[in-house]
Amino acid sequence: MYAGSGRHQTEYGMGKLWGIFGGVLFIYLFLGFMVMPCFNTLTSIFSAKDAAGNPDPFAVIRFFFAGNMPSFVLNSLKLAVLLVITVNVVGISIVLLTEYFDIKGAKILRLGYMTTLIYSGVALVTGYQFLYDKDGILTNWLLQFFPNMDRQWFSGFSSVLFTMTFACTSNHALFLRNAIRGIDYNTVEAARNMGAKPFKVLLKVVMPTLLPTLFSLTVMTFITGLCAMSAPTLLGYNSINPEIVRLAGSTTADEAFPQARAALLSIILAIFTIVLLSILNHYERKGHYLSVSKTKAKLVKQKIQNPVANVLAHIYAYVLFIIYMTPVVMIVIFSLQNWQAIRSKTLDFSGWTLINYFGSQDYSYTTSRGKTKIRPDAISGVFANEKTIGGIRLSFILSALAAALACVIVVVAVNYIFKHKNKKRSRVVEACLLFPWLLPTILICYSFRIFFNKEVWYVFGNNMYYAENVRFLIVMAYTVVKLPFALRMVKAAFYAIDEELEDAARNLGASPLVTFLKVKLPIVLPSVLAVFALNFNALFTEYDMSATFQSSYGTSYAMVMQSMCNEEGRDGMNMNASGRRCASTVFIMIVSGLILYLVYGVGARDLGERLAIRERRRKRLQKIGRRLGLSHAAAEDAEVRID
Amino acid sequence: MIRLSDIVVKFGDFEALHNINVHVQEGEFFTFLGPSGCGKTTTLRTITGFIDPVSGTVEMQGRDITHVPIEKRNIGIVFQSYALFPTMTVHDNIAFGLKIKKMKKDEIEKKVNDIARKVDLSDEQLKKAVSQLSGGQQQRVAIARALVTEPAIICMDEPLSNLDAKLRVQLRNELKKMQKEFGITTIYVTHDQEEALTLSDRIAVFNKGYIEQIGTPNEVYNHSATEFVANFIGDINKLQNGIVSSMHLDPEKAHYIRLERIGVSLAKDGQTETPSGNSVLFSGVIESQEYYGLFIKYTIQAAGQTLKAVEKNDGINIYEPGDKVNLLIDPADVMSY
Repeated sequence: MYAGSGRHQTEYGMGKLWGIFGGVLFIYLFLGFMVMPCFNTLTSIFSAKDAAGNPDPFAVIRFFFAGNMPSFVLNSLKLAVLLVITVNVVGISIVLLTEYFDIKGAKILRLGYMTTLIYSGVALVTGYQFLYDKDGILTNWLLQFFPNMDRQWFSGFSSVLFTMTFACTSNHALFLRNAIRGIDYNTVEAARNMGAKPFKVLLKVVMPTLLPTLFSLTVMTFITGLCAMSAPTLLGYNSINPEIVRLAGSTTADEAFPQARAALLSIILAIFTIVLLSILNHYERKGHYLSVSKTKAKLVKQKIQNPVANVLAHIYAYVLFIIYMTPVVMIVIFSLQNWQAIRSKTLDFSGWTLINYFGSQDYSYTTSRGKTKIRPDAISGVFANEKTIGGIRLSFILSALAAALACVIVVVAVNYIFKHKNKKRSRVVEACLLFPWLLPTILICYSFRIFFNKEVWYVFGNNMYYAENVRFLIVMAYTVVKLPFALRMVKAAFYAIDEELEDAARNLGASPLVTFLKVKLPIVLPSVLAVFALNFNALFTEYDMSATFQSSYGTSYAMVMQSMCNEEGRDGMNMNASGRRCASTVFIMIVSGLILYLVYGVGARDLGERLAIRERRRKRLQKIGRRLGLSHAAAEDAEVRID
Repeated sequence: MIRLSDIVVKFGDFEALHNINVHVQEGEFFTFLGPSGCGKTTTLRTITGFIDPVSGTVEMQGRDITHVPIEKRNIGIVFQSYALFPTMTVHDNIAFGLKIKKMKKDEIEKKVNDIARKVDLSDEQLKKAVSQLSGGQQQRVAIARALVTEPAIICMDEPLSNLDAKLRVQLRNELKKMQKEFGITTIYVTHDQEEALTLSDRIAVFNKGYIEQIGTPNEVYNHSATEFVANFIGDINKLQNGIVSSMHLDPEKAHYIRLERIGVSLAKDGQTETPSGNSVLFSGVIESQEYYGLFIKYTIQAAGQTLKAVEKNDGINIYEPGDKVNLLIDPADVMSY
């Protein structure tokens, strides 16, 4: 027996105990918040009864084909197919224009194209509405030049397609950009050297290396189109998701089998998703075009030699930039305008105000009987309006909790997966975490809503949809939905950990927990924080799930905005609801932007970069100190305080 | 110091090590040498505790440590990639093991500074991130981290393989110097025969999970115990029938001769060279020449086979392709198996 073996055995015993506890908790959560609700949804389709009360398992399916329900599916498919084309055209364009071709002002253009990272979801859709709907600023402006133009041009399918095209290029901006940056420039030079013209090089050398990324993006875009929610709801287009939400809120008194039909639509979406993801998985397994070069050369931007093509490319780049930036700029400008200017959607240079952000004002108006009435605090800023700030606060807390929870679950699980690599149990854990990827968001949320909207033994007899419990349900739904993305990203980060680091830590006496906390976690932390930020930003302004969970206790930012804009000005209430929406969008853009900057800008720096920055700062302080005549000690003191 | 007795390691059905027996002496620089997949790293990982053998024992200083956990073995490791923690400074990397042992702060500081001085790391470098150091400096950090906990032995798994050729030679010398200074028993894994020959007190040559030979560099090079060792270490000529029969060697055996053991001289017209001692003379023609600076390697056609030979570059006797040469081979230099 060697010294310390007792301690080792105790540690081993504790580790085993924690392992059993973790395993039981994982199974409990997986069954309760993934399998059972979705299984309940599936079975509800076949549990319909006829008028005599006899089971009629295929009643819902018969009803589906007899009515207009296939049209919702066809509409969604139409949107998804066209969206794949438009998003890829715009997405590839913005990446080539900023990363491959030498376009003047590419840095500014890139910032514009990336605004969708901080300006998305319901904020983006309502922003587009603000500009383009029948009373929109741009519609009014265009009508001056084209009086015969249809004022209602921005509605229905075309408006949804237009909005979603520009809203869905975030993934291209992130992932296709990385892929193009990973191209070995020597391959481009080799092709040029062999006589290939620039366009041929782009088509035959560059594009094939981007194909795997493009394929993944295409599948994801298709699924996004199929599962579109906020744009079709707000702009008016009959696709699957809005119909599911409508049916979920309907009763049998209004129509036949509303819940079962909603379930059937969800399952149809799930089948589409599963098929598409299987294709994607099969394609990804076939492998990627990896660079075989050991000395990869950095991509050099290509000058467009033909002057006409060069001018056209510049025009195209800046037109896209204007389309991306106009809603953002307008939202910022109008968030500083008074409610009259916003309602009339005309810029009033004397109407600048901060009322949409801070403070409140009374609103006086004359009734139809000629009486003057005052509505106290009918004009209020984001931070003074309890309903708005309450929605933002709730969204902030729920999104932060869910994003953090998803990260914690995934980090612990991936650590387990890597520790038990090549073992069946690690593959099972991974499959469980990827399970929600197969299911559309709406199916998960709908299933949660239906399954937990009663006293359920599994959650100790509680009704999780009742009162404040719904917030827990929302957090769980948010978490479940974000698990697959978090898993893929965090797993990629874990792959970057040199296995010898773990061996080294163990050799130096660190326990598995200390190795995880002090060696592995600090390495993957930038990626984990990035996943947290991306998930948080997406959840903060998400609309689909909030709409499915409609409840007075779970009214998120998106729902508050929608309802307040709907009742804007009614009976002198919420006079500046649109202005407040603009202000809150600006606030959320700032918060999202700040988080992305902290995570990608500051958090992504490695220790070497951080130390170099600290060293530069120290030198700068010393220099300033010398100029100001401070002693060396005082300058050092200032430096210590800054550190 | 370290004794491996009848070690067998299996990965599933595959037996990676077959009855390995090694005894490493105190203060020795002992190298495990062999091609990829021969079992040298597996043996090292069995010693360090990362792999549990199916049978056999690992003893250290007379104590059975076969199933002792890694951290309790008191063995320092320098990894192939150095495995320096990228999120820690050089100082924190070196202090990591001491902090785990819950040593007092001032004691940690003293030990870190002492070891840093010994491996030639400055105070300035201690404050840096490991990514800010060169390959050579990183290697010194890895050694300092392995030595600071005062292990009984230190194991190095191909620590020079990631470096460029010039730095590899430079660090090889530093490594040897440090090992002598610290006087620590060192087990070194490499596939590079030159590295093994220059660094080691003794070498174990591995092949397919077996040890083919254990000996000093001179023994394994000049008196290779097996055909594999003769082939693996250094460049060698296999003698064909023509030479074998001319030298009256046993035709049933395989015969080898090292390149530098073949004497090459220019054949002068009308003159016949008389071989000294038992050496046998062969006539040959230079086929090609590889110029290495310090020496020149010739490919020669002689006695119906191709032979390689090296000659010191004296700047005068340099033979060109087509030159007729005399080759002298001493039967005592022939290794037969």
